[in-house]
Amino acid sequence: MSSQFEIVGIRPADAKPPVRRQKWYRGKPLFAAALLGLIVAGCLGCGYIMTKDPSYMNLSNCNVAPDREFLFGTDTMGRDIFSMIWYGGRISLFIGAAATVVSTFLAIVFGALSGTAPEWLDTLLMRLTDILLSVPNLLVTVLLQAILGEANVLSLSLVIGVTSWTSIAKVVRTEVRQIRGSEYVIAAKCMGGGFFYILRKHLTPNFISSIMFMVVMNVRSAIVAESTLSFMGIGLPLEVISWGSMLSLSEKALMTNSWWMILIPGAFIVATLLCITSIGNYIRKKANNTQSNL
Amino acid sequence: MGRKNPLAYFGKKCLVFVFSIFVLSLAVFYISRLAPGDPLVSYYGDRVEKMSPKEREWAEDKLGLNDPLLVQYVRWMENAVHGDFGISYKYKMDVTEVIASRLENTLILGGLGFVLIFVLSMLLGVLCAWREEGWLDRAICKIGTVTSCIPEFWLSLVLILIFSIGLRWLPSSGAYSIGKKDDVWDRIVHLILPVSVVVTGHLWYYAYMIRNKILEEVRADYVLLAKAKGLKKRSIMFRHCLRNIIPSYLSLMAISVPHILGGTYIVETVFSYPGIGTLSYESARYKDYNLLMLLCLMTGIVVILCGILAQMINEKIDPRIKATEEAEISEVKKR
Repeated sequence: MSSQFEIVGIRPADAKPPVRRQKWYRGKPLFAAALLGLIVAGCLGCGYIMTKDPSYMNLSNCNVAPDREFLFGTDTMGRDIFSMIWYGGRISLFIGAAATVVSTFLAIVFGALSGTAPEWLDTLLMRLTDILLSVPNLLVTVLLQAILGEANVLSLSLVIGVTSWTSIAKVVRTEVRQIRGSEYVIAAKCMGGGFFYILRKHLTPNFISSIMFMVVMNVRSAIVAESTLSFMGIGLPLEVISWGSMLSLSEKALMTNSWWMILIPGAFIVATLLCITSIGNYIRKKANNTQSNL
Repeated sequence: MGRKNPLAYFGKKCLVFVFSIFVLSLAVFYISRLAPGDPLVSYYGDRVEKMSPKEREWAEDKLGLNDPLLVQYVRWMENAVHGDFGISYKYKMDVTEVIASRLENTLILGGLGFVLIFVLSMLLGVLCAWREEGWLDRAICKIGTVTSCIPEFWLSLVLILIFSIGLRWLPSSGAYSIGKKDDVWDRIVHLILPVSVVVTGHLWYYAYMIRNKILEEVRADYVLLAKAKGLKKRSIMFRHCLRNIIPSYLSLMAISVPHILGGTYIVETVFSYPGIGTLSYESARYKDYNLLMLLCLMTGIVVILCGILAQMINEKIDPRIKATEEAEISEVKKR
């Protein structure tokens, strides 16, 4: 190329040879899916893996570092961390799933209601979500839970679910507004289809792909919320074993410098979250509706 | 948006603001009082258990807890309008005094975290977009994804484990050592860990947004024109593209304030940093009603103000965005 004139705007992509057929697994988060599957399977089948009773307090073996008998060591109350991880994972994962179900359901109903409602009601409902949206989720959850007092698994999932539906609802509403005037929706309405019928048959299939990413991310934030709350001592109590409540002993662990009590449950949380995130990113790339680039 | 009359425009915003605050105060008031728990415990401590029913009644009367909720609310509101927010049951001081003594600490922590995120997210975003799909970009994206997956409280624990217990370099709690309240260096040392947790917890989220914004901008047609004119890559990036994304950057940062605030609260609790976060946690737990009310209102005011600010910036950039169509905000709030 001569140095005086430079051709501008040529895309290097033009020079590439025709794309070879890609393998089926290209670009799919296989490793993440496998690892997540492993963790979930381990938690569900914890009865086969556990070497000890997770809630048994073996007081003669408090604070033991990981060794052959206690694979991940024991905590300050003498419970075997290896068994607790798998046993408690069930509750952490359950809360992640249950809270997401609650929030997704609320979001879809609320969003569709707002999307199909007349203008003034729509404005009112969206103002409401705006106000809720602008308050940091975790703060509301902390307040709600602190005020509600002693938590159990269900109440905690409910609180987390109730505080995290707003952003999905906004997307649902935008999508519903785009398709609410379509012929098939009007036809269904003319034939006497009720709100929930139309929502199930016509609206949901249309917007499900664009909220899928956010739904997956909600699982992630629900798990984080559970562990944060339990850690602060306003989530699950110590006797209910979950990854978060295991970490609530970490204050004592710091004093005795028992790193395994902090690092191991945390590593499990982070690994799970990473897997969920990469699966979520894959879904976002695939259903490239709301995200404009990448 | 009717732009003809700026007074009406701001009036409407103010109305929304006042209304939101009113709803918030009503909600907090009712929820906190209907919930189980005994506020007398935080006032009288363990003595409550030994009280006879008559003494209890007298004590509740004294704190005004016997009236119907609506009466209590109206009374609180009347006093609040006159600047009297009541006393804290636990500290037996004016609520405003209790908060004033802690506010400074939170402002330092949150403000420092915010400024760092403000600057670093822009730098990282530009750096990634500059080397799009290069190894540096990929590496930063990978590391960023990992850091965004780490819960803040766990990161704090790990940092304490490494730097305060393992290496003994940094203190693990508090805002200053005893008796060294005015020692700047001592404060900085105490701030290092909390601030780094606040920053790592949020940085990547915003940096990634900015990176994507720049990448979108770089694909616009005017960049091609500028290139054809013979401008250098650097000057296109810094003089044209960045200038165009600055408004959305600012609105992004306005929205980030509540999130960073929320993060600060968690970090404060882990590091037992004497700030607003630990205070609101305590007050919610021990039913210190008056303190809880004011703290919630303060947080709410900051949060709602930032939301309105972001909305105003958005409307300014793009008049097509009506008050109801905030794709920008809903995209940001995806957490």
